[in-house]
Amino acid sequence: MNPRYAWLRQLIAFGILLLVWEAAGYAGMLNPLFMPSPSAIGSALYELFSDGRIWPHLEATFTAALAGLALGIFIGIVLGVVGALVPLFAELIEPVMTILNAIPRVILAPLFVIWLGIGLASKVALAFILVAVLIFFTVFTGIRQVDRRLVERIVTLGGGRWALVRHVYLPSVTAWILGNMKVAVGFAFTGAVVGEFVAATSGLGYLLSFAQSTYNSALMLALVLLIMVVVLLIFAIAGRLEKYLLRWN
Amino acid sequence: MLERASLVVARGQFVSLVGPSGSGKSSLLRAAIGLQQPLAGTVDPEVAPSDIGILFQDDALLPWRTARDNVALGLTFRNVPRKSALEQADHWLDRVGLAGFEHRYPRHLSGGQRKRVALAQVLALTPKLLLMDEPFASLDAIVRARVVQDVASLVEEQQISALLVTHDLEEAIGLSDRIYLLSQGPRARITHEYAVPLPRPRDPVRARMHPAFAPLYDQLWNDLSEAVGARPTAAAEAAE
Repeated sequence: MNPRYAWLRQLIAFGILLLVWEAAGYAGMLNPLFMPSPSAIGSALYELFSDGRIWPHLEATFTAALAGLALGIFIGIVLGVVGALVPLFAELIEPVMTILNAIPRVILAPLFVIWLGIGLASKVALAFILVAVLIFFTVFTGIRQVDRRLVERIVTLGGGRWALVRHVYLPSVTAWILGNMKVAVGFAFTGAVVGEFVAATSGLGYLLSFAQSTYNSALMLALVLLIMVVVLLIFAIAGRLEKYLLRWN
Repeated sequence: MLERASLVVARGQFVSLVGPSGSGKSSLLRAAIGLQQPLAGTVDPEVAPSDIGILFQDDALLPWRTARDNVALGLTFRNVPRKSALEQADHWLDRVGLAGFEHRYPRHLSGGQRKRVALAQVLALTPKLLLMDEPFASLDAIVRARVVQDVASLVEEQQISALLVTHDLEEAIGLSDRIYLLSQGPRARITHEYAVPLPRPRDPVRARMHPAFAPLYDQLWNDLSEAVGARPTAAAEAAE
């Protein structure tokens, strides 16, 4: 067993699974209403792209997820930094964040729809709240646990406040955020898709809810597959960025 | 905790501070460089704070900066232009025997190499007084001997006054001109003071071959045992 070829064995196993699945469907052992064959899922996926109607939906989901991600990271960093530096602010914000962290935040989706309508804003808000809480805790606890020895080293070398921020806090925070980047990306897409699922006029989540209401399980599985591919793609990009920025590690 | 300490490091002298754990040796160094306030009294070094360098037990290099960037750091805090700071960093890395390692990140250096980078980082600021808080404790024997030798020769060559805190009597004798002994805390105080009669220049690692070494070591050992207030065997553990 050469570990270098693990991917090949995984691929073969997956291929066999698809073949068995397809054969079982062909032999009438699976009810296509509940469990469509791989070829049916494939053609559903193909149709989505061939008539081009998928693009506006993809765009809607991407816009909501990426806007929520960017906003969530930004606000998360700001709140985390201010919280770590201003004790009074920490006292006020920490319980709020702890509660938000404890609940499954997607339950806020219906509320956001009422507040912000069925347009893009409610999806951005859901993606945002999922990401912001995560990033807040990453930065907040990160800054509090910054390596005291590094701080003392900078101080004894004659560095001031700005030197500490630039050489210790900023790189530390960057490392922690990048370490949580994959989780944040996953959260952002969860927020966007769930938001669309609840109430929307476009987006992958909207298509999912449409497929559900029409009992179209082939379309549903095709969409699940598509979302998986999209998130994996973004993971790969985030991984590259992480590798470059954390090359010292 | 250290109750009262009055010690003098004369210019160009190498002074060691030896004593049991908890006697406040580290606190004294930290107070001297302003990381910690003494509960009472003052620390009054005749050199400016910017002329004092300190080596900690941990090398505490920035993991996200290369060796030369780490060494250049203190210089850039003094508004040395970046180009010049990097040139000086390369020079000091060469002086501590790390030519060719300029672009390594700390993670890709051994413990001894990181200690050398930390040494270059401090020496690059051309301190008049170098404080050392058990800087060699984390190194294994052979690496440690070499780093100690290099520190001794660089400190002597640069005419830097040095104050070393250590548990290691042999290290203290090998390196120092003068040794202070602290008693057991709490309420620790300086109980003994010794002049080291070994000639200079000397090799700190081979100092024990000198006939004056053994009597001084013996005396230090007995005084330290007494300071710890236990039998010599237990003292050996306490001192370690």
